[in-house]
Amino acid sequence: MQADAAALSARRRGRLRREIPGALALAPTALVVLVVFLGCMLWTVRLSFTSSQLLPRFDFVGFEQFERLLGMGRFIVSAQNLVIFGVLFIAGCLVLGYLLAVFIDQKVRAEGAFRSIFLFPHAMSFVVTGLAWQWLLNPELGLQRLVRSWGWESFTFDWLVDRDMAIYTIVIAAIWQAAGLVMVILLAGLRGVDADLWKAAKIDGIPTWRVYGWIVTPLLKPMIVTAVVLLAISVVKLFDLVVAMTHGGPGIATEVPAKFVMDHLFERNNIGLATACAVMMLITVLAVLAPWLYARTRGGQRT
Amino acid sequence: MNTHPSETVADRTSVASPDTAQGRVAEGRRPQRLTLARIGVYAFLIVSALFFLLPVWVMILTSLKPMEEIRQGTLLALPAAPSLDAWGQAWSGACTGLNCDGIQVGFWNSIRILVPSLVLSVLAGAINGYALSFWRPRGAELMFGILLAGAFIPYQLFIYPLVRMFSVVGLYNSLTGIVIVHVIFGLPVMTLLFRNYYASLPVELFNAARVDGGGFWTILFRIILPMSAPILIVACILQVTGIWNDFLFGLTFAGRENLPMTVQLNNIVNSTQGERLYNVDMAATLLTALVPLVVYFVSGRWFVRGIAAGAVKG
Amino acid sequence: MKNAPIWLAATAILFATATAPRAQEERAEVIHWWTSGGESAGVRVIAEAFEKAGGTWVDNAVAGGTNARTAAINRIVGGNPPTMVQFNTGRQFEELVDNGLLRPLDDIAEAQGWKDVLPPAILDAITRDGSIYAVPVNIHGTAWMFHNAKIFQDAGVTPPTTWQEVIDVAPALREKGIIPLALGGQPTWEHSLFNAILADEGGPELFRSVYGEGDSGAVEEDGFRHVAELYGQMRDLVDPGSPGRNWNDAVALVITGKAAMTENGDWAKGEFIAAGQQPDADYGCTLMGPHAPMLIGGDVFVFPVIEDDAVIATQDKLAGLILSDQVQIDFNKVKGSIPVRQDVDVSSMDACAQKARAAMNDPARQLEAQELLSTPDRTGATRDVISQFWNNKQATTDDFVQNFADALDSTY
Repeated sequence: MQADAAALSARRRGRLRREIPGALALAPTALVVLVVFLGCMLWTVRLSFTSSQLLPRFDFVGFEQFERLLGMGRFIVSAQNLVIFGVLFIAGCLVLGYLLAVFIDQKVRAEGAFRSIFLFPHAMSFVVTGLAWQWLLNPELGLQRLVRSWGWESFTFDWLVDRDMAIYTIVIAAIWQAAGLVMVILLAGLRGVDADLWKAAKIDGIPTWRVYGWIVTPLLKPMIVTAVVLLAISVVKLFDLVVAMTHGGPGIATEVPAKFVMDHLFERNNIGLATACAVMMLITVLAVLAPWLYARTRGGQRT
Repeated sequence: MNTHPSETVADRTSVASPDTAQGRVAEGRRPQRLTLARIGVYAFLIVSALFFLLPVWVMILTSLKPMEEIRQGTLLALPAAPSLDAWGQAWSGACTGLNCDGIQVGFWNSIRILVPSLVLSVLAGAINGYALSFWRPRGAELMFGILLAGAFIPYQLFIYPLVRMFSVVGLYNSLTGIVIVHVIFGLPVMTLLFRNYYASLPVELFNAARVDGGGFWTILFRIILPMSAPILIVACILQVTGIWNDFLFGLTFAGRENLPMTVQLNNIVNSTQGERLYNVDMAATLLTALVPLVVYFVSGRWFVRGIAAGAVKG
Repeated sequence: MKNAPIWLAATAILFATATAPRAQEERAEVIHWWTSGGESAGVRVIAEAFEKAGGTWVDNAVAGGTNARTAAINRIVGGNPPTMVQFNTGRQFEELVDNGLLRPLDDIAEAQGWKDVLPPAILDAITRDGSIYAVPVNIHGTAWMFHNAKIFQDAGVTPPTTWQEVIDVAPALREKGIIPLALGGQPTWEHSLFNAILADEGGPELFRSVYGEGDSGAVEEDGFRHVAELYGQMRDLVDPGSPGRNWNDAVALVITGKAAMTENGDWAKGEFIAAGQQPDADYGCTLMGPHAPMLIGGDVFVFPVIEDDAVIATQDKLAGLILSDQVQIDFNKVKGSIPVRQDVDVSSMDACAQKARAAMNDPARQLEAQELLSTPDRTGATRDVISQFWNNKQATTDDFVQNFADALDSTY
């Protein structure tokens, strides 16, 4: 009995000896998690239920800020833009990224060079991307002028200053920046496909495009899901690209929620409304993540 | 912040394993004949390459032309008399408001922000990953889960409370403040990288060191870190590009004295005196992209590996 | 010297503070956002006057009004306030007052007789609950029409004085290949143009009830609708290159004769002066419309509460200096604005400044700019609506009026 107890306490001591240094080392991060990732977030959520303007107040006005937000033209435009941008950007990146991956996978020469070219925009800042495309799409001196100088006088490509089309220029620039990322992820997946599968398909005489379409793509599903989640997160965070490329204009045609929050926090002294918009962004992210996390945990993988 | 090649919650992939994208037949038997299909493949790839290269090519051309030439609207024409004047102007003469010291101010600010942020965030990630993998204190996994979830949450949810907290302790608009912000928001990805890498190391190594009486720090610095070269490289690449490309935090926390290059660039491009000098704008833009691009082209495969490490097995 | 009492009071204060045994040097840390050419010259005027009076000026310029105010507010709330902070004349700082974070300046205002020399609109803007909380620096006319005199001479057309005339002269200018109206295509300037028309054609009463009281009923009436119609027609007068353009580039189009007119605040004078142009000879400045009001904006300084007698003395000294004759003249000459004090002689200033003063001498023509009447929240929400209407040629006046009324109803 006593020996048992002694052994037990010795084990416990051993475990403590093992745990304390680790716990100490992780303490700063734990503090950050508590104060920043949990504390700040809850503070922001709390503020969204107050009437705070220039300074935080801790009254309670229920969903008043959210009601106002949902009735505001600018917020509606921002939310619509996020949807338009999100759908087109994710679809565009997936299609282009997948095509690039498939074509690179055809045992081409200079594969490394092609891969470098398709991925390099991803290394750059969104501000740089925004300014590069802003210049290229400048109606007076950019592509439009160039094509006209080739003799096609009526050519118009002035999306950048066109209220209805400006958001699509943001999509183009963002796809340019992120398609390479999708290519890398899917190429890794393609390279993981069993060579025997290709042999079998060849023997059966199935054309290559059908193998990709019907056999390989389902195998890549996990990669595609990962890519979609990564892209979706960057959709919600969209900010610098818009600031650099259009400032949210023409008018408010390319406003996005992240910019709405920043403008109302600092410029318009409306903390309550800004935090309400931030909470809406949080809900959007959770809506994107929830099914994915659910599928993962159901998939029986350790988290 | 550029989208960090983010992470998925459970993958414990080995970053040190051979580059996945190089896995199968990178240098397979090349088909002998140029069929129509082959021509199609190359045509598609070359057209795509043009799409990716065009904006940068146009920027370079524009930055080498004088304004008279730019006004003619010949976007793709080679400069008649290429000059680096615009580059000089962008580096040391472009104005933001009263200050006409060019983008170099932002460059040095970015360096001053980058170095401490990089060292601290990589070190923090290494210590966290090591503690999580080998020492495993109770509750650590839960903390790690919340930390990872934090990586998905838009920064707009943290900004205002952080601004207020920093003001109270006098760090708002200071170099220390912006460095702390970068370290905080680098934690999730850095911790994940190191944790996954250390999970792939044989635990016997660690146990043997423990039996020899090694303490927490001794084992980390003597045994673990020397074996961490590959992951250290990947982590550094991710952080260098991520921190350098940040715009939002620099805008909000750095203060006028420490504005990073991205913010400075946006200010320069938007404060015109009379005619907008597109050649200077483009040179400044290219200068801002230079550091991450150099990192990218020098590190090539490691960069890809960083992305792969974050995003394999959805 | 009709302002002898003030002058004496100011001298007395300066003398008293200068001869008082100084336990410590008088340091004044000032947060402001005057970073451009004319602006920083203006700061220098105040700083030099302060240094001459024995103080040490610690300049803390933060580029961009929003950034500067955020930095200042955070420091004030964080318990580490600077000595003096710049704000726009208006309602940006009222919440700081309500929270007891700013010093009331009634004593010094009394001693210097501010009430006798400041225009009522400015006095209202710096007063809250009967106490004065800010020292005004200048008056900006925020809605002027600038035109290129030579273009109108060549075309044999009289420069417009009403917004309808602006629309009427446009075809003649178009024929000559000249842009009738140059505009910085950013929400700020689209908003500025609308407010100019609302003040000039709608009149001060309508302007105040819309922006001051947020009266959405006034928006439904014919007067406002007429303003909206006029504004809608302005969309056809600008060039396709307008979206995204900076304000100073729009002014440059007028200076170089590519455009005939542009609407902007008096800070635009700085661009004409820098280009070596003379008012009334090369360019004209007009207060438009039947009401021809002077839309008043400007800058003020506020003083955070600091419990330290030495600091309080420094703050008093600064307040006195800013309203002294010499600083008022020197500052406003370089800044492009006019002195905030009605008793300062402006005969040494340019023709546009004279016009501004003439308008200021008629109380019926003094009209507060929107920033003085609306909270930043209301200013922002109306700006969104205006910018949306401006950039969508299909948008009808009815929709605009409806959206505008909604914006007024939903803001605080």
